[in-house]
Amino acid sequence: MNNVATEIVLKDATTSLAEYEAAGGYAALAQARALTPEQVTDELITSELRGRGGAFFPTGRKWSFVPPKNTLPKPHYLVVNADESEPGSFKDNEILSRVPHRFIEGCLITAHAIDCTNVFVYIRGEYSGPYEILVGALEELRDRKDIRGDVTIVVHRGAGAYICGEETALLESLEGKRGQPRSKPPFPAISGLYASPTVVNNVETIATVPPIIAMGGAEFAKLGVENTRGTRVVSISGNVVNGGNYEIEAGMSLRDIIYDLGGGIPDGRTLKAVVPGGSSTVILTKDEIDVGYDFESLAKLQTSMGSAGIVVLDDRCCIVQLGIRFSEFYEHESCGKCTPCREGTRWLTAILRKLEDGRAGEHELDLLLDVCDRINGKCLCPLGDSDAIIVASYVAKFRDEFVAHIEEGGCPFGGASSLDHVLAPVAMHTHSPVAEVPA
Amino acid sequence: MSSPELVTVTIDERTVQVAKGTGMVETAAAAGIEIPVFCYEPRLGAPVGACRMCLVEVEGMPKLQAGCTLSAQDGMIVRTARSSPKAAEGQNSTLEFILVNHPLDCPVCDKGGECPLQDLTFRYGPGNTRMTFPKRTFEKPIPISPLIALDRERCILCYRCTRFSESVAEDGQLVAINRGAQSVIATFEDEPYRGHFSGNVTELCPVGALTSTQYRFEARPWEIQDVPTVCGLCPVGCNINATTREGKVKRILSRNHPQVDEGWLCDKGRFAFVHLHARDRITAPLRKAGPRRFEALDWDEALDLVEEALRRGGHSTLTTLSGSESVEEAYALAKLLRRGLDANAAVLPEEVPDALDAFRAPLSSLRDAKTIAVVSDTPVVERAPVVDLWLKAARRAGAAISYGSPDGRVDALVTDDPEIAASVEATNVYFLPLTPNGRGVADAWSAAGDGEPVDVKPRVLVISGDEEALDPAVRAVATEAEVVIGIGLFEASFRGIADLVLPGTSYLERDGTTINLEGRLQRQRRAVLAPVPDVLAWLSKLGARFGVEISPYSSVEFEEISARCFGGISYGDVGPQASLPPRAEHQPKTQKLETGSLRESVSASGGGLRLVAYKPLFSGPAVERTPELQFQRPAGEVQLARADALERKIRNGQTVTVSSNGTALELRARIARDLAAGTVRIAVDDAGDLHAVVEVKA
Repeated sequence: MNNVATEIVLKDATTSLAEYEAAGGYAALAQARALTPEQVTDELITSELRGRGGAFFPTGRKWSFVPPKNTLPKPHYLVVNADESEPGSFKDNEILSRVPHRFIEGCLITAHAIDCTNVFVYIRGEYSGPYEILVGALEELRDRKDIRGDVTIVVHRGAGAYICGEETALLESLEGKRGQPRSKPPFPAISGLYASPTVVNNVETIATVPPIIAMGGAEFAKLGVENTRGTRVVSISGNVVNGGNYEIEAGMSLRDIIYDLGGGIPDGRTLKAVVPGGSSTVILTKDEIDVGYDFESLAKLQTSMGSAGIVVLDDRCCIVQLGIRFSEFYEHESCGKCTPCREGTRWLTAILRKLEDGRAGEHELDLLLDVCDRINGKCLCPLGDSDAIIVASYVAKFRDEFVAHIEEGGCPFGGASSLDHVLAPVAMHTHSPVAEVPA
Repeated sequence: MSSPELVTVTIDERTVQVAKGTGMVETAAAAGIEIPVFCYEPRLGAPVGACRMCLVEVEGMPKLQAGCTLSAQDGMIVRTARSSPKAAEGQNSTLEFILVNHPLDCPVCDKGGECPLQDLTFRYGPGNTRMTFPKRTFEKPIPISPLIALDRERCILCYRCTRFSESVAEDGQLVAINRGAQSVIATFEDEPYRGHFSGNVTELCPVGALTSTQYRFEARPWEIQDVPTVCGLCPVGCNINATTREGKVKRILSRNHPQVDEGWLCDKGRFAFVHLHARDRITAPLRKAGPRRFEALDWDEALDLVEEALRRGGHSTLTTLSGSESVEEAYALAKLLRRGLDANAAVLPEEVPDALDAFRAPLSSLRDAKTIAVVSDTPVVERAPVVDLWLKAARRAGAAISYGSPDGRVDALVTDDPEIAASVEATNVYFLPLTPNGRGVADAWSAAGDGEPVDVKPRVLVISGDEEALDPAVRAVATEAEVVIGIGLFEASFRGIADLVLPGTSYLERDGTTINLEGRLQRQRRAVLAPVPDVLAWLSKLGARFGVEISPYSSVEFEEISARCFGGISYGDVGPQASLPPRAEHQPKTQKLETGSLRESVSASGGGLRLVAYKPLFSGPAVERTPELQFQRPAGEVQLARADALERKIRNGQTVTVSSNGTALELRARIARDLAAGTVRIAVDDAGDLHAVVEVKA
């Protein structure tokens, strides 16, 4: 494994159409259009690309589920999930801002592969910067029918709900309804947007499509490791020297990501724990970071790459406080549709706050775990499950610290916590400096 | 149609065969096993899987599954809480989560004792609480309309009410706002929930979050009795339960007749029962004692006076019937007049051609129709509200609904015009009568005698029913008559026109039968005793004076008319859930009835628009006496067809001038898509002195 970024998605960063074309941009589109849709899909299947939104579903297979129009005479839709809002993740922001045309090229190739002419990009409302860039890039294509073909790309801005990153809630929201997940099946590939066959893909997935077509699926599949082919754009944040987005070859060691790319822990502190793939992934202790950053290696530790938001925590971090911040987030973002998530996330936060304040007894730690257990696996979508899984993982891996809160009658870290510079408390989500979204 | 593929499903070790795709809740029920639910309600459309009460374990699936969103597949092995500790724990969890913020104010909650949340908590829930934090609180109760109170703390967010509003009533007025644990049910900008069907949400609510303001703190479930009967306020004849406590009706609930109402009621049927206790309710026979005043009589005196008047009128007595009478009341009255006095002249509430019986079908078939034509001057929802819900259900199921005369054959025709009913080619015809029991009354009148009316000026007029007494055409005849005898519920209806008034009884106070618009004979049961003797009781006494045998018992009168009109079925056979008689093959027994002579028919001529003055649902004597329903009465508006509005450059909601022959009114315009061009509609109370042909100007 190397310790330098392997750029195929983020390479030749430019927002200008001319520069992008000069660097060979939109050549993959022409290549793809020379193929039949089935051939493009086959190329994706060969590439073994898996969805970059967090669920890792094989992209080519997802495309192949779309029923042909002669068996189901309905329009097909491509919906791109750009509602990136998981604490710790900001890779899609980078992709849209730096390589908008690669992303658009991906949309057009995918549209060709699934026989669709309508693409909707559902972008997080607060992402005004990437939105402007993306719209600017689309504007450049206005007179380029040769590139656009018959495809219309609509950029739709979300209204600030994390749940609208869940594909079916996103579709509901896009249809103008309350953003709440649908019960599956039917899956979007059969009945998605406007009850028509719909492919929902993440921004990074779509931006990875042009390089796959350009280099060929087989060549792409040589990158990375078994079950995680190609590259990933990871967002490194928290107590690291060089936070930011890096494109890595899948399988790179997490230690290398933190210490080589991230530059290690600042202020002479030591590593305590790592959230490996955004808030909803099981935490790793400092002893668990010698692991390949790929699907299978992380699965062995019961965690995952998720949305690739790597949050590095140093030894000043209180894990109970971390639990409160994340749990508050899930409570705040729960859509309110299903009972365990709506009520359970709120309850979890309450118990965690009590623990942090030193008002909790030993039995409340058991209650906390029991509530996690009662949420997990009973919700309509993964949001509530995520909160339960991560809180339970904090207790499992840092039980002594929870017990210390009980025994010492309060937080052993006192008021000092490194979290303020790592994760914004929920109160700040609602008073965001970018809350004033231009119309 | 091919029979559906059967699949075998094993639930808690029991094997059951159901049609493929049957919902798991129904599949389990077929095996005699309950899957408890809150949000699941098949009448509201596709299941949503929100409440997670129905969690079950399915072999081969790692996670618990929501039973409501599962459908039966062959070989499926399902375990409910009965046999799966995991499922039991899941359901227990759901209830614990629901109760974490539920106020548990059951002792003061109207739902207490008949609450699904209480019942399921006892059966599946935790026995105690582990919640040690302040519960979430909201302002409460919030009157979302004068009819309905909302308690957001009790709400468990099953979204039944919002789904009803969105996908059954299609009024889109109830929504959930905010997110997560702060989600609450609300109306847009706190406007009242206005609609013809709003009350249904109080019955759909599985907790005490949406309650009827009329029933608030009125009774506990162990003090009440539900009397199964049939609504008598419109020709649909929805099946209802009248909840009574200590001899008073406290509320009306639906009683699902899947062919008639599917368990939905309109707000008039649900809330207008308070007319029983109206201040001007007639509780004794009355005699005119001044231009606007009556004096009470004792019964002997009253019967003497009525007898004297009827003898004076003899065969020149004219009877007008309102169509709100029961079949038996109308039959008994008809016997008295036709056999006792040979007074054969009557103004019947409807003319319902018997030929329609050959096109009879249950209302529920409307949902299965692919092509439907609606030809009705009156909006369907105003005349037969639940029919509108069937039409909406049909449209959601993909039916093409056309307004105005169809081009070709249609599966179903809905019309308020008997002539059109006869001329359109349709498989099923639904005629919308004007009155609740007009068909039954017409049948009863014709069965009671076969004498021909004499063509003389009526000397005595018998007005049966408040609606009839309020009809301007009837009032005009009344001024000509020497004696006017009224039968009705409210003094105000008869003030100034009747010389004698005998007290009537409401549909909730009588035993009898009615015939709804489908032609379905249904049984009304006495929910409470009337404050007055039964109509049949005094008709029986009067009958004796004229040598006509009239029984005070509706069962006896029914047997008699049944032998003539209903194929001799017995009173008991009508049953609590009446079936629709098979389609008539026979030639209609035509009898020329003198009908409609007092009602003018109009047709547009020249450049004007034809005015239809319709009776809105929220109007009439019962609604006028229900204070909580006043906000539902339509604001003065004129409904226009789109083409007419475009031609006159009139926008929706704009104030316009409606004029005819020197009379002009300012009304708000509304574009109604079910209206044929050339016609405008105005509620009869708003139409004032407008003539039959009007002009509308922006």
